[in-house]
Amino acid sequence: MSEPKRNIPLLRLAWRNTRRNTRRTLLTVAAVAVAVAASIFALAYVNGILDNMLDTYARTESGHVRLRAEGYSKRERSLPLHHNLPHLSETLAALRAQPGVKEALPRIRTMVLVDGVDANRPGLLLGVDLAREEGYLNPAAMVTAGRLPRAGYAELMVGRDFARKLEVGVGDTLTLLGQTSYRSLGGLRATVTGLATTGLGHLDATLLLTSLDQVQAMTDLPDATTEILVFADDFERADTLAAALARAVQPVLGSTVEVLSWKDQGPLIRMIETTKPLMGVVLFILLLMASLVIVNTMLMTVMERTQELGMLAALGMRRNNIVSLIVAEGAVIGLIGAVIGGVLATGVSIWLEHTGIDMTAAARSTTMPFQGIVYPDWKLIYTLAGLFLGTLTAALAALYPAWRASRQKPAEALRP
Amino acid sequence: MRLTITQPRALLFWKALLVLPALMALTLAPAFAQPSAREILERVDANMAIGTAQMRAQMTIQYREGDARTLEFESWAEGTDRSLMIFLAPARDAGSRFLRLEDNMWIYLPRVGKSVRIQGHMLRQGLMGSDFSYGDASENPSMVDDYDAVIERVDTLDGRPAHVLYLTGKKKDLDYPMRRVWVDAERGVPLKEERFARSGKLLKTSLLGDVRHIGDRWYPFRIELDNALQSDTRTTLQILDFALDIEVPAAFFTLRHLESGL
Repeated sequence: MSEPKRNIPLLRLAWRNTRRNTRRTLLTVAAVAVAVAASIFALAYVNGILDNMLDTYARTESGHVRLRAEGYSKRERSLPLHHNLPHLSETLAALRAQPGVKEALPRIRTMVLVDGVDANRPGLLLGVDLAREEGYLNPAAMVTAGRLPRAGYAELMVGRDFARKLEVGVGDTLTLLGQTSYRSLGGLRATVTGLATTGLGHLDATLLLTSLDQVQAMTDLPDATTEILVFADDFERADTLAAALARAVQPVLGSTVEVLSWKDQGPLIRMIETTKPLMGVVLFILLLMASLVIVNTMLMTVMERTQELGMLAALGMRRNNIVSLIVAEGAVIGLIGAVIGGVLATGVSIWLEHTGIDMTAAARSTTMPFQGIVYPDWKLIYTLAGLFLGTLTAALAALYPAWRASRQKPAEALRP
Repeated sequence: MRLTITQPRALLFWKALLVLPALMALTLAPAFAQPSAREILERVDANMAIGTAQMRAQMTIQYREGDARTLEFESWAEGTDRSLMIFLAPARDAGSRFLRLEDNMWIYLPRVGKSVRIQGHMLRQGLMGSDFSYGDASENPSMVDDYDAVIERVDTLDGRPAHVLYLTGKKKDLDYPMRRVWVDAERGVPLKEERFARSGKLLKTSLLGDVRHIGDRWYPFRIELDNALQSDTRTTLQILDFALDIEVPAAFFTLRHLESGL
């Protein structure tokens, strides 16, 4: 006896079934929505933090390409001034003339001893080209009291926490002792013109910022610097740029210069780069948790509907049809939940992309280079992935309850 | 044979040693078959300790990369606690001066125009980038007061017989809690020295040479110092002029004098 082929409108049936017990459906929809929203937002948020760290690191430490004298990096901890880059103006001109270079910024950092009220305290003296650093180190944005130091004047801006420790304020004078590039003793006596908040805890507690010329004079480095940070039009192409810059400065500095793209600097960058793929794992775990909730509610659904499913089986619905029906129900619920969660997370992410999340307090208590306000970095692909994976997970999570339902014998299922 | 310090000798001997010219002490020395560690140390103090002194010296810092730089300074000292040092050359360092009064040290740099007191670990940093710390450069201690000594062995250094003494600090805050000193057996002048941290880690090695007879004592005019913690340099101090028992005005070792341009 051959059965006539029947086309069961599974999706329509599934859609109707989801509306039969609204409370149950809403519970599952909510679970999917929360999981999808959390995943999308987490991706945007973590990406935002990593971008923030890379950006902060580039602006304060690495540049997109960094030039130093050979030997400096090996002894970086002692900030060895005797490994320096001479012919600074010529070098800067050569660098700035290169295509793809947005800015080349000389900086000198050196440890100094600050003559305090009752004790000497170590500090980090940073000399920069104050005008050109706008948009990079951003000294103007750091000023919380007073004003920026001026080029050509013995003036200082002091990290806010450091100033409190030294018990100095705007208008006071500080005496600094440090090394010269000849490893002799150098000194600087300067007026505090402003207090700085960088958003980086370790800098706020040690920073003394002044104009490059002051540090050059103190350290005996006329027309020289210890490092030049180059910022590129396209930071992703820093590797190629680094090679071009090495060739460009060769006539001036010879080959005793270390030219490194940000990608080749330090373990932090490598850590950040390896963190990105890990975000997939985070997404997976969130969806796994959501799927447990879905399995739970779907199982409940199946248990409650034992009689109904038994009836369907008794009326001749095949096992695979029952499986398909319940999986389809899972998929419908998943899609509804994913859409709600997706819309929610996308909205919130985009909104926070503009307003930012104030993490100042957290940033101050860590030595990781990230600055006060984190802007989530949302991408369309996150939402699309969330929608797809949310629906898929819900459908997959329905598989087990569906299989359970299909195993029931119609007679047993119909027994009251 | 290891000899520990014997009981204090008769006070009479002590006094006698102090008043006797060093040369007399030297001629007497061989009469003692084996002087005690403390006696050797006392002879070192008699040679090295100064009442007042003035010197002009050259400090050459040799870098491992091959280059070297030479600084010249003039210094005055009174007893173990007070000294003043003024750099004369090169031009970029000329006028940098250092005043030490007991455990305090002040630095005056012409560019800064104000004296800065340095304390604590800063005193252990290299003076003008040399292997000498600020503490080393101004120290003028009495070894007998600061250390207990044992004779480890008798050695020969540059053809001269030397007692090797191992010193252990009596005070807590010494820069070098342990030292090993090779003392010229005839002249009582240190020829070589190893200075250790409390942990036993070797901090500095010095070689002393160009020993000259000045007044009633022997004095090394050249010190080569190697700082184990600053491995890329080696510093040689060569005394050019040395005058002992000079007249120093009372106001000489004062902050006002340090800051007033001398």
